Amino acid sequence: MSEATEEILEHLAAISFVAGRDAREALPAVAPLGEEASLRFLETGRDLFFYDREAGKAFFHATANMVAAFAGLDPWLEQSRQFLTQRGTFRAVVGFFAQAATVRKSWGAEGEALWFKLGAAWIDRHVDSAAAYFRMPVATLFGDNGTTGLTALLQPADSLAKGRLGLGTYLDGAIKVRGICGLDGVAEWARRGADVLAAGRIRGEAWFRLESDEARSFLLEVLPGFRMGTHKRLFGLLLQAWTGLHLPLEEGDWSLEGGRSFLETDGRSLFVPAVMPDREEALLAFYHTGAHLAYDSYEQDAIHALFAEIGMEHPPLDPDQRITWRPLFAQFGEDLIRFQMIFDLCEDLRVDVALDREMPGYISRVVRAARKHGLPEGVAAAYYEQAQRYLEDYQQGRLSPDLADLTRSEAGIVDAFRVAMALYATTTLPPLTLTERARAYLPGHSPNAARPVYPRQKHGSDGPEVEGDSALGAAGHQEKPKETPQAAEGNDPDMEIPPEDIQGTGGRVGVGIPLPAKVAGSGRGVKGPKGGWPYREWDYRHQQYKMDWARVHERKLREKDEAKAIEIAAEYDGTLRRLKRALQAQKPTRMSPRRRQYEGEEPDLEAAVQFLIEKRAGRSPKASVYLQRRPQQRDTAVLLLADLSTSIMAEAGDSGVRVVDRLRAAMLLFGEALLEVGDPFAVYGFASKYHDEVLMYPIKRFTDRFDARARALLGGLSGRLATRMGAAIRHSSKLMLRSPAQRRLLLILSDGRPADYDDGGDARYLQEDTRMAVREALELGIHAFCISLDPQGGEYLPQVFGQGHYLVLPHLDSLPARLPEVYLRLRGHG
Amino acid sequence: MSEMIIQEPFYQPVANEVGVFMAAWSRRLPVMLKGPTGCGKTRFLEHMAWRLKRPLITVACHEDLTSSDLVGRFLIEGDATVWQDGPLTKAVREGAICYLDEIVEARTDTTVVIHPLTDHRRHLPIEKLGTEISAHPDFMLVISYNPGYQTVLKDLKPSTKQRFVGMNFTYPPAEVETRIVMKEAGLDESRSKALVAAADKARNLKDQGLQEVTSTRALIYAGALMVAGLESLEACTMAIINPQTDDPELSEALLEIFRTFFPER
Repeated sequence: MSEATEEILEHLAAISFVAGRDAREALPAVAPLGEEASLRFLETGRDLFFYDREAGKAFFHATANMVAAFAGLDPWLEQSRQFLTQRGTFRAVVGFFAQAATVRKSWGAEGEALWFKLGAAWIDRHVDSAAAYFRMPVATLFGDNGTTGLTALLQPADSLAKGRLGLGTYLDGAIKVRGICGLDGVAEWARRGADVLAAGRIRGEAWFRLESDEARSFLLEVLPGFRMGTHKRLFGLLLQAWTGLHLPLEEGDWSLEGGRSFLETDGRSLFVPAVMPDREEALLAFYHTGAHLAYDSYEQDAIHALFAEIGMEHPPLDPDQRITWRPLFAQFGEDLIRFQMIFDLCEDLRVDVALDREMPGYISRVVRAARKHGLPEGVAAAYYEQAQRYLEDYQQGRLSPDLADLTRSEAGIVDAFRVAMALYATTTLPPLTLTERARAYLPGHSPNAARPVYPRQKHGSDGPEVEGDSALGAAGHQEKPKETPQAAEGNDPDMEIPPEDIQGTGGRVGVGIPLPAKVAGSGRGVKGPKGGWPYREWDYRHQQYKMDWARVHERKLREKDEAKAIEIAAEYDGTLRRLKRALQAQKPTRMSPRRRQYEGEEPDLEAAVQFLIEKRAGRSPKASVYLQRRPQQRDTAVLLLADLSTSIMAEAGDSGVRVVDRLRAAMLLFGEALLEVGDPFAVYGFASKYHDEVLMYPIKRFTDRFDARARALLGGLSGRLATRMGAAIRHSSKLMLRSPAQRRLLLILSDGRPADYDDGGDARYLQEDTRMAVREALELGIHAFCISLDPQGGEYLPQVFGQGHYLVLPHLDSLPARLPEVYLRLRGHG
Repeated sequence: MSEMIIQEPFYQPVANEVGVFMAAWSRRLPVMLKGPTGCGKTRFLEHMAWRLKRPLITVACHEDLTSSDLVGRFLIEGDATVWQDGPLTKAVREGAICYLDEIVEARTDTTVVIHPLTDHRRHLPIEKLGTEISAHPDFMLVISYNPGYQTVLKDLKPSTKQRFVGMNFTYPPAEVETRIVMKEAGLDESRSKALVAAADKARNLKDQGLQEVTSTRALIYAGALMVAGLESLEACTMAIINPQTDDPELSEALLEIFRTFFPER
């Protein structure tokens, strides 16, 4: 050891005991490189130590590693001196020393040089950014694309720095975006982000932190894969076809971390991810999850039996009355995920086999998709391979006997649990983490106990009794309105209602333990307004009418929006024109049937011939030999009654379209079509607030013309209050009796079941009353027909309106075109 | 059209419909056949007519059908006017089975002429002749209708309905339907089975904007196209999906269902 080195060592020891000790300990790694190198090394170390104590410590600690990785002192010694050029870089230096050796080993000299260069550029510019860069774990930073990937990832950051965006903020976001949609996505994301940043700092930072809605929706746009949103209806239809279930499809969780997207269910709805890798995987996911529902993975008795297996009499319920799965796995402690995965393997095998019996080739499709997807990395592969092998073994009929038990058609989830327990005792499947678990599932498969579930009733046992008691409370009204519902303006004394009441059927969301319905008392201290028309109401519990119980008031709608009406007319111009053309094409046949009239525009040839013949035969026939070509004005009269309750303000799913938007359009088109047809018609809206205030809003009476005023009213339509349908039907029937027509049709447009604030949570009460009102109408010669937007309408509409007297349109967008069409078909045109 | 049916029309009974019809026949009670389109109502009746060896007179009802279209009218022949019996009168006189297909399509004032024929009186007043004729002992009246939603306004009057013995028809159970498709289309068993299984799934889509679900007749057509050499999935598209709906998403869903049973090669 030379004098010079000894001098520096002593100098260091004099400043700090730690420095002296660390330097001495580090020196042996450098000594073999020669005297000159040792000197250079110690000088740099001393400079760093003087510059910052932590930097110096990190330097000496990393030495042995660095020398080994770089086989010497170059270029890292020079590189580390770069940090001395600016104040406050110690965090960056620490990061550098912690990771440089790894970079050298994994990405070579060139990679290391690039990694350093890209970071060092920030030392002068923004010290915190440099620190964020060097501290970022290099495996994460490089990703899968090596040095070119790193360059591409960092490239947009330079120009963003001019907009004063720190590298720390940028990198966190960019790495997530890269995970989701690749490097091209990053470039596009950064380009748009620059504009957002220019428009406002806070908004811009939110964009780069991926916290704003605009960033989310951007990612959705560029996300590779199969977009689920636009195909929801298709999946809903297929689910219904295969399982007979109508389940609402809701937007599922969507993590920005990328990762795998799963289709999940809570037993009552399906939660659909934003994207899935491709169409086939999406289809398989729907088939597989549908199979879980159809083959009773979430059936009440089965779940009870399952919990009985572990000695629990009642499965634990969360505040929403959903079953939580945790206790089932709790006994496995640390090994919980592993057991849960094994249980899923067995249960998935069970339902896949059951579905394969119904759907030929289903398992082959899963196996094909699994092969195409390929084994995941890490321990997940073992599970993936196992699941795939089970299916392949099943196909070839060589499933082991204990598993074969699951392929019996009467096997249930409890059998799957038992098999899983046995398997758990013997298997060598490795433990895995949550992240790994996500990769362990076959395409279309997903964690079965991902969400707490609402237990399902046994397939096919949904009688009306069950319905009244179960979750279906206010089906169509569950969505939270995004726009504040309009308080029925003007005449409605809303001040008296407690605010939570205005939110549709508020508290009824969730299963609800059936409450004894209290419909006696008015439900509030204040009496409804005076006047109006009293109607009786049917109380199914007493099997008798409550006389003069409901009170209907006719109110004018105040809001008009002519501009909106014109906008809608423009939007639906094509549909409207098609509709009119179709109607005009039908006109001759439509106008012809008035034969054998005593007067008319032209002779009825057939009648005239008959007349002559009979006359010649010596009889005295009636001289009704004319044909009238005139619209059959007095043939069919129709009253369109629209449910204007709060729920129509809700957005339908995630489409951004509110129910009311389509409702306005549908009613406008209906009016235009009816004008063309020439049938007498009226359009009313209704809402209700307790039994003594059922509100009917005339938009066009039978005697009114369908003019700009009516159109403006439709344009300004909005939702309010609740849905007491029975009273509205009785009042409409009364109105219809005044219209002169042979046939009378009451067309009801609704988006959910009848409900009101004072029905005590008993969905059946107003449903039964509505059924009676429909029956009373029929006795008066008025046919009621309901068009419902409630996907669960099939559960109660048949009882209320009768088989064939309703139509469920779960696809909101089709409403405007369908409404006039349905009417025309009903009246006998098509 | 009045015809004796010489050759046995193929009909595969599902339940006791033959027995019920025979019982009604033995007492000459009028019968109403209810059921969706293409489920075999007309075929059943042809089969029964053949079995009973009675001529069958079929009238397809429509909006402009008047009572004289049913009962009869005067025609000029040379210099004289002659009375021409309508199909109903003809059946009443000859003792045929008169089949009013899709009776709801006819106007209600037309359908009342059948009332006196459907109770114990069993006679037909002919207003223009000023006479009444008593029905032949073998005369029998059968009507059919399809209680789909398009008939809400055109439902039969309860007073008319109650005059009939009502027989409900639905699509036959899978096994029976398979045999029907095999026999009618001449299709092999495995493909017939697949057709029927697919239809069973497709019929679940009833409320979703389909006015009519996949009928047995459509399955037979599809089978016939397959026998004629068309690729299976194409045959299903042409005979089942395209005629059923114009809605692109419904078509896609139906296609997906049929594709599962008839994978493309």
